[in-house]
Amino acid sequence: DGAAVLPAPQNLSVRSVNMKHVLTWSPVIVPEEIIHYSVEYQGEYESLYMSHIWIPSSWCSPTQRPECDITEDITATVSYSLRVRATLGSLTSAWSTLKHRFNQNSTILTPPRMEITMDGFHLLIKLEDLGPHFEFFVSYWRKEPGAKEHVKVVRPGVLPVYLEMVEPGAAYCVKARTFVKAIGRHSAFSQPECVKVQGEALPL
Amino acid sequence: VPCVSGDLSKPTNVTFISINMKNILQWNPPEGLQGVEVSYTVQYFIYGQKKWLNKSECRNISRTYCDLSAETSDYEHQYYAKVKAMWGTNCSKWAETGRFYPFLETQIGPPEVALTTDEKSISIVLTAPKKWKKSPEESSISMQQIYSNLKYNVSIYNTRSNRTWSQCVTNHTLVFSWLEPATLYCVLVESFVPGPPRLTQPSERQCVSTLEDQTTALEVK
Amino acid sequence: RGLRRCLMSMNLHRVEESFRGIKTAIQAKDTFQNVTILSPSETLHGTQPLDVCCVTKNLLAFYVDRVFKDHQELSPQIMRKISSLANSFLYMQKTLQQCQKLCHCRQEATNATRIIHDNYDQLEVRSAAIKALGELDVFLAWIDKHHGGTSAA
Repeated sequence: DGAAVLPAPQNLSVRSVNMKHVLTWSPVIVPEEIIHYSVEYQGEYESLYMSHIWIPSSWCSPTQRPECDITEDITATVSYSLRVRATLGSLTSAWSTLKHRFNQNSTILTPPRMEITMDGFHLLIKLEDLGPHFEFFVSYWRKEPGAKEHVKVVRPGVLPVYLEMVEPGAAYCVKARTFVKAIGRHSAFSQPECVKVQGEALPL
Repeated sequence: VPCVSGDLSKPTNVTFISINMKNILQWNPPEGLQGVEVSYTVQYFIYGQKKWLNKSECRNISRTYCDLSAETSDYEHQYYAKVKAMWGTNCSKWAETGRFYPFLETQIGPPEVALTTDEKSISIVLTAPKKWKKSPEESSISMQQIYSNLKYNVSIYNTRSNRTWSQCVTNHTLVFSWLEPATLYCVLVESFVPGPPRLTQPSERQCVSTLEDQTTALEVK
Repeated sequence: RGLRRCLMSMNLHRVEESFRGIKTAIQAKDTFQNVTILSPSETLHGTQPLDVCCVTKNLLAFYVDRVFKDHQELSPQIMRKISSLANSFLYMQKTLQQCQKLCHCRQEATNATRIIHDNYDQLEVRSAAIKALGELDVFLAWIDKHHGGTSAA
């Protein structure tokens, strides 16, 4: 039985940042041979109701690299079981299953990159597009003691988004964080970015 | 005169084009019969009902579209439509659409956009797009009444700084102030409804110039 | 208001995307165009705010406990989309269970659910599962409408 000859992949783990999930494992080495891997997954629904069902992953059935982008497979905020096996011609290894089930609510959320610009007296923000899961909470304030902080929910788009009208001679600061509704979590705030508005301050 | 069914190839790309619930069935002539005097007959079906229904205004027609807005006006129902081609005594089999769900599939047309300016500001008044109606006498229904979460993406282009920026609004009036005097600004507005993606149609681009700065104008005198 | 806050955390965007992935294929397999299972005009249209929680709970259970189980799929692409839908519905059930105390079931809601199960039982089980899957857009549009447009743009 060829299955036992090929060693099963080891050290399975998931690296998940900003809702992009990658399953990695240690490569199976057979000198001068190309090993292929197949990845399958099982959501909580399958585990509960149809435990015999394993679903081939979208991009890695098969693949030659010891990693697999499972972002399109992990589509609900439930726990998923993942397994990998190696194949070499007709030889196949045993399945190796991820020790702990993975849930997308454990993803690492990083502060968003942003670009603050102005058009005349209009403060604008351009945010990186992290995909349909993400909303952005943008805070902005006038750089002076006791200034009120304003918050706006912004959805990324191709164009910079208008935030506020600004006064000549004043300085304004902006920071942003992401919010992912599917997992009910937000990232830390980005470092504030401040800009000075040209022109003289308006007479009081 | 009954025709011999199946001798002709079917019309192709039979699909609904829907904007603000105006639902037009359109198709392409059968392969190889472009330019030939072919006529068409259309039927439609309300999902869950019992039988296919005729559309009398679309029996033996030569055009390749048929307005089924009235027949599909209950937008919370789902529909099918089909068309067959006839040429002499030959006719094709029916070519059928997939299941059409106006509530989820209709495109939301752009709002009407009215701009007024003064020295340093542009006031924008938006009027929500109107749902298709059977006759001019019928009272108008705004698409906002159907989609309560209808929003507008307003983009403004400063021709002097060559910069464009946008703002997402739900209300129908907004003012861009503190603009540069005597500057041409161009505005474009798109309606959208959060949810399943829909094709969208932006409004015509409208450009207006802010007025001369009166203070500098007085000094010049 | 509590129910809307409870379900606001749901992100329908992914669910709608998954359905769009199966709509054409699944609806094409549904050859009984003259019957519907959800029968919107008898069951979902005109749902009173008081009944939204119960109807949502019952319909999620209908899909999780019956439809997704009864459907057998060979195509890996369709299988993945249905798995996405099933696991998303499981998550919605868990989210709704956090609001269990709000979910009072009146006779109207119970009747609506019974009509749906009766319609399902009229058909052979595989055909019924295909038809119910093909009508998911009706249920998702109903959730979107009654749960305050919870889907992300």
